Amino acid sequence: MGFDNNEPEQRRRLHAALSGAGITTGTLWLQYFSIGGSVGEYEVEAYLQGMLSLPELERDLLAMAANELSNSGPGPHAPYSDEFPLDAPGETDSPDDGPASP
Amino acid sequence: MTKKQLPLDELSGAIGRILGLLLTEEKVDQAVQNLSQAIKESVPGTIGAGVSILDSQARRTSTGSTDSIVEQADHLQYELGQGPCLTAWASEETVLLDDVRTDPRWPEWSAAVTALPIRSVVSAPLMANGHSIGAIKIYASEPSVFDAAAVSLMELYASPAATLLAHIQSAETPKRISEGLQTALHSRDLVNRACGILMERHKITHERALQQLILQARNKSQSLQEVSAELVAGIPADRN
Repeated sequence: MGFDNNEPEQRRRLHAALSGAGITTGTLWLQYFSIGGSVGEYEVEAYLQGMLSLPELERDLLAMAANELSNSGPGPHAPYSDEFPLDAPGETDSPDDGPASP
Repeated sequence: MTKKQLPLDELSGAIGRILGLLLTEEKVDQAVQNLSQAIKESVPGTIGAGVSILDSQARRTSTGSTDSIVEQADHLQYELGQGPCLTAWASEETVLLDDVRTDPRWPEWSAAVTALPIRSVVSAPLMANGHSIGAIKIYASEPSVFDAAAVSLMELYASPAATLLAHIQSAETPKRISEGLQTALHSRDLVNRACGILMERHKITHERALQQLILQARNKSQSLQEVSAELVAGIPADRN
């Protein structure tokens, strides 16, 4: 099954943002649902565990939900899909971490 | 991913589950309290009665008892991790204890309750839908107070009580969560209305509209809800 190029990295950093701010999946899902997210809690859980691919919009809504919940917290920020280099054909495990996050 | 319209029931259940509110203590606690009193009054020789609802890790989620002696004896069981009620709950069978001082099954608990006026005990499991959700118990201050008739009576009580308690738990959930649900739905509705305005204004899809809202919120360092509210407020109600 296919993941978008940047999906694993986006997911990993969402994970980091969640644990940094101590946000549970349930809380994340409720916020995500509140701002128009359309997949269920189980799918979100599966996405976080790397077992399910989600469309870009849903991934960005999850990032937005996480960032709104951790608002003003010191932890890492959850990146949006346009913060990754466009169309990098490179592999998911390229270790360079840090580009493009203001 | 297709859009799913979740029915309200399912939604309530999902939110209740994630917030860990399936067990709502307030009213269940009232129910177990009343039940304890009723059991005490209906089994001859009983000086105290109690009801405990346990989760799968044997932690008490709700308890009711007729007096502090029952409470203490109960508390000791959960502290020591042994005792007739825990056995009844775990084995799903009724336990009859003739004399605390001679029964060898729960040595630590028996030793711990010697100071309390407790000699005879009956404890029956609360079985709902094939699962043990807790136990009811009665105590007496003399040995051999309870017999097979008392055991039958307790079992007779346990069955409807378990069904009732399981029902209260699930029936209370939607009420407890309704506030969080309303907030979530209101916010979601607001975002969707803002999307509708953008869709109409720019002839774009719902998805595209939501992406634009996300971008605006990020650029303005506002929440998606705030951006949506501003957009919606900017449209006079009488101008479609």
